[in-house]
Amino acid sequence: MLEGQLVRLRRPELTDAERCYRWFNDQDVVGNLIAQRYLISLAEEERFLRGMPEMSYSNGGILAIETKDGRHIGMTSFYDVRMEDSQAGLAITIGEKEWWSKGYGGDAVLTLVGFGFHQMNLNRVWLTTVEYNKRAIACYKRCGFREEACLRQDVFRHGRYWDFVQMAILRQEFDEQQEGGHRA
Amino acid sequence: MLEGKLVNLRALEPGDVDREFQWVNDRDVTRYLTIRYPMAKGEEERWLNDRPANDFRNTVLAIETKDGVHIGNIGLEDGQPENRKASLGIMIGDKTYWSNGYGSDAIVTLLRFAFHEMNMNRVWLHVHDFNEHAQTCYKKVGFVEEGKLRQNAYQEGRYFDTIAMGILRSEFDELYGGDADA
Repeated sequence: MLEGQLVRLRRPELTDAERCYRWFNDQDVVGNLIAQRYLISLAEEERFLRGMPEMSYSNGGILAIETKDGRHIGMTSFYDVRMEDSQAGLAITIGEKEWWSKGYGGDAVLTLVGFGFHQMNLNRVWLTTVEYNKRAIACYKRCGFREEACLRQDVFRHGRYWDFVQMAILRQEFDEQQEGGHRA
Repeated sequence: MLEGKLVNLRALEPGDVDREFQWVNDRDVTRYLTIRYPMAKGEEERWLNDRPANDFRNTVLAIETKDGVHIGNIGLEDGQPENRKASLGIMIGDKTYWSNGYGSDAIVTLLRFAFHEMNMNRVWLHVHDFNEHAQTCYKKVGFVEEGKLRQNAYQEGRYFDTIAMGILRSEFDELYGGDADA
């Protein structure tokens, strides 16, 4: 268990499949996600969870986000981890919409980033967001991520091309902000 | 064969192995790329023999001068049909051909193919911040700088920034014309 202020992160279980199935077929949720476009079945979700490799430096890994009273509200992960460059991409979804905009996502991001820097020895964590997801961009900025690039017409969704915002936080920046007692 | 002004682009052949082997083990060449570990000739042979046919998702082509000298490779990776984009990579492995416009011509030739034959909308690339020569070349061709990824690549004892660049089909057509033989 990784303990944040509002959430804890744990490895997904097969019993999470129905919730993931519901979230990743919810157009309000996947409309903001880049990798998720096609519909998935419950059987595919179960197969995915069953076949998931263990969490490690090279695999990265997916974690379930729970509130402190044990309610599973979303997923977060490290992916594309590059060993020599000591960096990983971060992804996050709050699937339960009533938990949006309440600080749970930011707390989950900071908890995973802290694990990446202080337990995995990463140097850089980056993420990308589609330009219209203003809520996410504001959240990542509060977490200490800095905007690094605007990738023009990088993704096609909802009938047109959109820019992608790429952001990152370095370990040194994270440490400085932790010393200052910062929370998202 | 894709014909440029200075170069032609063709599919790789198993017989290219000796040159490929030499280039990917030449640190003067690979320090500008993401290749890091020494590679055996057998590995290079396997790669040339087993790689799938060029297609939307992945294409690698040999760059030849007009008199048939193989001087490097160019390719498109991670082609995504929904987003109609791919990333471009290039290596002029034969150092005697650096800084003579062969790379630029190969890029324009491949971009024309990407936009007008593959129906791409965007081509992007990453380049080390210390590789100013390549950045000048990409800008000259028409790539636009889109941002800087801080401490993105570790080599030679430290982290370096990476410059992100991209070119859109509309920009390419404005620079080079929408017709096939511009």
